[in-house]
Amino acid sequence: MKLAERTETELIRHIRAQLADPAQAANPLRADLEALLLLSEAQRIRLERLIRISDGYHDLERSRNLSLIEQYDRQIQRLEKLTRISDRYQKHLRELNQELKQAVLRDPLTEIGNRRYLLESLKAECARAQRKGGGFSLALLDVDHFKTVNDRLGHEAGDRVLREIARAIQAGLREYDLCGRWGGEEFLVMLPDTPLDTAVGVAERIRHNVSQIHLEQTGSPLPLTASLGLACHQPGEEYSATIHRADLALLRAKATGRNRVERLD
Amino acid sequence: MTDLSIPSSQSTPAVEGVWEQGLLRMEGDSYPENSFDFFSPVILWIEGFLTRTQRPLTLELRLIYMNTSSVKAMMDIFDMLEEAHREGRQVRVRWRYDPRNERVVEMAEDFREDCTFAFDIEADEADEARGAY
Repeated sequence: MKLAERTETELIRHIRAQLADPAQAANPLRADLEALLLLSEAQRIRLERLIRISDGYHDLERSRNLSLIEQYDRQIQRLEKLTRISDRYQKHLRELNQELKQAVLRDPLTEIGNRRYLLESLKAECARAQRKGGGFSLALLDVDHFKTVNDRLGHEAGDRVLREIARAIQAGLREYDLCGRWGGEEFLVMLPDTPLDTAVGVAERIRHNVSQIHLEQTGSPLPLTASLGLACHQPGEEYSATIHRADLALLRAKATGRNRVERLD
Repeated sequence: MTDLSIPSSQSTPAVEGVWEQGLLRMEGDSYPENSFDFFSPVILWIEGFLTRTQRPLTLELRLIYMNTSSVKAMMDIFDMLEEAHREGRQVRVRWRYDPRNERVVEMAEDFREDCTFAFDIEADEADEARGAY
């Protein structure tokens, strides 16, 4: 085996044996070889230390990297959670908003639309009539002798009557008609795209429904009736003008004996 | 040794920290313009309590609406509690809600998700709820 192919350990062992051999004591290369061996040993120790330190840095860097990845993942998770919770709050807020909007447009007693709802609908219907032509009719309904009901039976019975009236009106409407409580014992019915002649039919049906309310339901010993005034929206006019005419028609219905429908063309 | 008391405003909840009882209450809506300013004293109080005492800490929360930065601040607070809990401290969250507003429960459950300490979500008694509004 040639010297170059020997392993480092074998070589060192061999050199040590040569240096210790008394036969080599007088060899002129002996002192230099011994110095070279010491130098090599010192270099080896240095190299090992260098590698150890370098490995240490490498490990440090690696664990820092891992913890950065972990931190990053954790932040992403936090962000996802934050977004999820925040989105939920936003969604609930929007739903609440819609509920509020609904509540703001509803009459709490009769649970049909209130005056604000009616005004919004009237404005929209006016704008629609302006755009597309075609008029709408509206009816104002007033409960006959409502004050007597209230005075004789108390406000609770009066409230019950108003709820029954609201049901009776709703039952008389067609699919696209609207109604609401205009105020007190007065209700407003809006009939889109409906000429007065047709509107009279709907109004009569409502009047009939009201007269059929069973007194047991209301607890009232009085006959229950309502008067209605009808008017049709004229092109270009404000809805208040239409309401005014319906009001005049209602007054006429009251003046001519109540429990009837009057129209003002 | 120090109590914390922040009155509620239109956009911030009332905060009350009772040092002796180890109790921090928060109640109301939370959508401050600068949530860092608002939550800093709250977070400092909790930190102070956790470092200067060894006693149990309870958070009693009646929070209704929260904006995103408030949600983040609450998550930070719960992280602090979680860390304390892992170090053996006794911490607890009682998330109370008005039974008429059940929807708050979903958010509370989301908050609770990664927490290993006691985190109760409880409906207020009807009488209590009425008193709070």
